[in-house]
Amino acid sequence: MSGPVARAGGRAHTAPGPRRGHRGTPWWRGTAAVALAFLLPSLVALTLLRLLPGATALWGSLHHTSLLSGESFVGLGNYLNLFSNADFRNAVGVTLLFTLVVNPLQIAVSIALAVLYTRRRMAGAKVWRALVILPIATPPAVSAVVWSVIFRPEGGLANALLAVVGLPPQGYLTSPDQALASIIVLLSWIGVGYWMLFLIAGINDIPTDLYEAAELDGASPARTFLSVTLPLLRRPLSFVLVAATVSNLLVFAPVQILTGGGPEGSTNLLMYDIYSRAYALGDMGRAQAEVVVLVVITLVIVAVQFRMLRSED
Amino acid sequence: MRKRQRVLASVAGAASLALVAACSSGPGGDGGTIQFLAPEDPAFFEPLIEAFEAAHEGYTVEYTQVPFDQYNSTVQQRLSAEDDTIDVYAVDQPRVPWMAAQGLLEDLSDVEEEARAATTEGQYSTGIHDGKLWALPVWNSTQLMFVNQDALAEAGVEGPSTDPDERWTWEETAEAAEAAQEAGTEWGLLLEQTDYYYQLQPLAESLGGGSGVVGEDMLEQDVANPEWVRAMEWFGATFEDGLSPRGVGSFETSPLFADGDVAFFVGGPWDLGGFADSDVDWTVAPMPYFEGGEAVTPSGSWSWGVNPASQNKDAARAFLEYAALDAEGNLASTERQTIIPANIEAAAEYLPRVDTLAGERSAGASDLITYEVQNTAVVRPVTVGYAQFEEVMNTAFADIRNGSDAASRLEQAGEQVDDAWEPLR
Repeated sequence: MSGPVARAGGRAHTAPGPRRGHRGTPWWRGTAAVALAFLLPSLVALTLLRLLPGATALWGSLHHTSLLSGESFVGLGNYLNLFSNADFRNAVGVTLLFTLVVNPLQIAVSIALAVLYTRRRMAGAKVWRALVILPIATPPAVSAVVWSVIFRPEGGLANALLAVVGLPPQGYLTSPDQALASIIVLLSWIGVGYWMLFLIAGINDIPTDLYEAAELDGASPARTFLSVTLPLLRRPLSFVLVAATVSNLLVFAPVQILTGGGPEGSTNLLMYDIYSRAYALGDMGRAQAEVVVLVVITLVIVAVQFRMLRSED
Repeated sequence: MRKRQRVLASVAGAASLALVAACSSGPGGDGGTIQFLAPEDPAFFEPLIEAFEAAHEGYTVEYTQVPFDQYNSTVQQRLSAEDDTIDVYAVDQPRVPWMAAQGLLEDLSDVEEEARAATTEGQYSTGIHDGKLWALPVWNSTQLMFVNQDALAEAGVEGPSTDPDERWTWEETAEAAEAAQEAGTEWGLLLEQTDYYYQLQPLAESLGGGSGVVGEDMLEQDVANPEWVRAMEWFGATFEDGLSPRGVGSFETSPLFADGDVAFFVGGPWDLGGFADSDVDWTVAPMPYFEGGEAVTPSGSWSWGVNPASQNKDAARAFLEYAALDAEGNLASTERQTIIPANIEAAAEYLPRVDTLAGERSAGASDLITYEVQNTAVVRPVTVGYAQFEEVMNTAFADIRNGSDAASRLEQAGEQVDDAWEPLR
């Protein structure tokens, strides 16, 4: 793109009128224009669907809407108000705890399964792999309903299994101590298969002669994993880590369907709190401030992840 | 190759222009098609829509159902974004002031006289905010106690009659429910909407705790007074003691009674039709009250209003007025469901039918419903902050059901209500 445009710029001094591209063609008939036209749908979509709503949220977060006094500029007032609100602080705490648990858990299980289904000679590996991937095809709402039946304290499948081994029934989604863990189990049931697909692709790209060499050197499976698989899996792994983090920070449907943020705010993740503040409580100003806070949290976490991965390089 | 590139580039450019166009202009009005949004089963509205379309040539109604749990937030979300693909929508009656104050309801004041004549004063008043009429009531409601006679017979307990003068207390009901459980029935007592303000307000009202909303502008909360705490402690104990199941959400409860797994079930008139197919031998009785307290029942239902962003307001008004003000239309809205018509003429024709909905089992329901609507009904608080209040309270009820301490949870709910109402002041 830069070549033809730069040359066209140079000619403009001696030939007034429309800028002309390579071999005297106008710029809009050159390859730069073609490239721009190809990029245009993405740029328009990016502007309309990402940048504009982002700017609107930022602008809205600086305003307070009151039924009596209308809309007024409050600067950082909504942010200060949010951070003095116990429910919001609880939502931030729950979200951070959730992020710290769900991402390492999903990624560790995904790696383990990816290795199991590629490197190990396991009977029926393709069938098992398909079963792990299957939940991805299930709509989130359906998954939530299925798990609500499994987790039902009275007559649910989970408690029935506990009864078989002589353990007492648990509250799961109705218990403040177990609800978040129950949501993490549900999300991992869906997420593990999805992230595993990327890691399987990454493992299949590792040259097999490296494994053969490791085997000739007498490396154990654990040593092979640590010295061959893991280092060469860093690129897909970094993608999975960032994508899983962002995806899990945006979890909404299971919380809305199963717990409504409860019991006692124990599953009140920021995405649900934003939705609830905006559309159940009608407090758009603070909801938009919360959106900005969530974006900042996401960017900070992702930036830290990128930095960690870079330093490893 | 270059030519092919240009063709593709033109297509890409045109696609982006189309995207811009799509984002900048919404779907416009659709002639005589009325888009109608509500939480009920589409089958319920088939008779109404057919009757309306037959009486109004050139109009068609397209109905969209939004599940009850997501209804209020979905409507709020879509109307706030000035979604013009909704013409007429259902609004929970106590939410009318909130929706009107936000400019999400069309002013209907020009049909004030007709609206006042068509329904009771209480129902008419639910559509008023700031001296103007914003929504028309379509249905009314009450609550009845369904008694599983098979379960009581097993326990050797004689159940309550339909006579309001022989109304049971909650204490008597819980005792009989325990006896039924001991005799083999899985659950003793179940409230249909286990964590909704509509159904739980009467518990506190029965003890004199009020609606929980006070003040001249109805923007002060009083949800942690001793009566509210006592009522909610009793409510929480029904789950703690195993009379009611914790894992069954609101509106998932009726199948348990229909299957014979519950001794006492407190539900709406709509359950009369719903339980007609059940094999259980049931009867109806008045909703209980607390010993030493007052007999109180919930009331109110859905009103319908017009979206100010609608491109088809005349057609929308025609449909709304037919469903609410025309007795024939209002009656058609109740043909496939058991619910009390808000239109006086329609209600007079409709109510006697409920006595025979389920043969002998529903006998006496009509008189009982009429009695409750006239004598024991309380309305939900009419406040511009009802939407926030209900949201906070429903969450608190769910927590208390799951084992939270009633007093501290109500205290916390009060603080949350204060916080949620701050932008309204």
